[in-house]
Amino acid sequence: MKFLCVPCDKPMQLLEATPPDRGSVSLVYSCDACGYEFAMLTNPQETQVVTSLGVNLGKDGAGESKCPFTGMLAGMDTAADGIRWTAGAQERMSSVPEFVRSMAKTGIEKYAKDHGYIEVDEKVLDEARSHFGM
Amino acid sequence: MKTYFDITGDGGSNIFEQVGAVQVAIGEKLAGVKHRLAIGSGKGGVGKSTLTRQLATALRQRGNACAILDADLNGPSQARLSGLQDVPLLPGAEGVALPRDANGVGVVSLGSVVPESEAVDFPSVARGDSHTWRATREFTAIAELLASIDWGQLDYLLIDLPPGAERTFQFAEFLGSQTSFILVTVPSDLARGVVARSLAALRNTPNRVLGYVDNMNGYWCDACHDVRPLFPAGDLVDLGIPKLGSVPFDPELAAACDRGELAVGKDRPWWVAVEKLSEKVEQAIESKPDKNTE
Repeated sequence: MKFLCVPCDKPMQLLEATPPDRGSVSLVYSCDACGYEFAMLTNPQETQVVTSLGVNLGKDGAGESKCPFTGMLAGMDTAADGIRWTAGAQERMSSVPEFVRSMAKTGIEKYAKDHGYIEVDEKVLDEARSHFGM
Repeated sequence: MKTYFDITGDGGSNIFEQVGAVQVAIGEKLAGVKHRLAIGSGKGGVGKSTLTRQLATALRQRGNACAILDADLNGPSQARLSGLQDVPLLPGAEGVALPRDANGVGVVSLGSVVPESEAVDFPSVARGDSHTWRATREFTAIAELLASIDWGQLDYLLIDLPPGAERTFQFAEFLGSQTSFILVTVPSDLARGVVARSLAALRNTPNRVLGYVDNMNGYWCDACHDVRPLFPAGDLVDLGIPKLGSVPFDPELAAACDRGELAVGKDRPWWVAVEKLSEKVEQAIESKPDKNTE
């Protein structure tokens, strides 16, 4: 979707995007030529359809997250059974697609617990990979 | 006044570029895959997943490096079929490490990370309206899987498709023209009618359809030591594409699938049929397309 300032016949630029509020995102566009601004306010269905493409909503695709449910998923990062994650292990998990990451983590935490670990670090990830024959 | 196509860029949201970046990542991750083979039907319950699993095993035994992508996100079964239900997705050196079964066949299935007691779900800000976005989200999820797994060097990537004639067509467009198709049916006009619709849809794509497989063509009876009929005999709808094989049902195979065991029954008719099928698939995929039947 693109926006055109009709009086100037110039493309409008995305100025800012606010994080989702009850599923609605506010995107402010402006015209560099005349300075006119307007806001596009999406409804939750529109937000969902676009984020279903796996994209960030925001200026230069720099929204908070690919999905507007980061808060919920981040909450799930806190391991059950008191298993902690090191920053390095968390970083390596970023290669696992976001939509299955928390579930993959649950499986790794189960491995860690079964093998007497209280923390998942990169060594545990490597060991688990070897254990599962990958 | 300028039109859409007069304007370069999208004003700063970069959505188009973000979608394109995923496609680039898929291309990079699949660069080492020689053949992409989608196993579809349109009809549900004809044994696509079981056949995919057995075909991959047979191709592997013929010396091919193989992997399966379970594209049936809502009813993933490849993890159970492969005994990989409790194997989590783990980061490797070049993306997510490819889980492998006892035979060395790579298997990527949501069944490895989502327990069977839970529905595959995607968080949404538009609850109650999933019909407006769910299909898009599912294809994005598959794209994310394709782009994140370290597939490595493969001779065959088998893609186990979900049921639905429209899905078969959508996957052809999604996976691209370099993906060949095998359609699975059972010997009944009811199933063949649906498969014929899938075939008609695929004719509108540039994808090759190598042929079809008559699955559950009779069942192996241990008592009679013979393959007995499972469907009424009679003339069936001619699909007009090559028949690649005919595989009988075997209760022993079904039990092995439930247990997630590697079922290679050297002396069982179904395995003999799958071995022949794998040979024929190799020949078909290496041959030039037949414009009349493909």
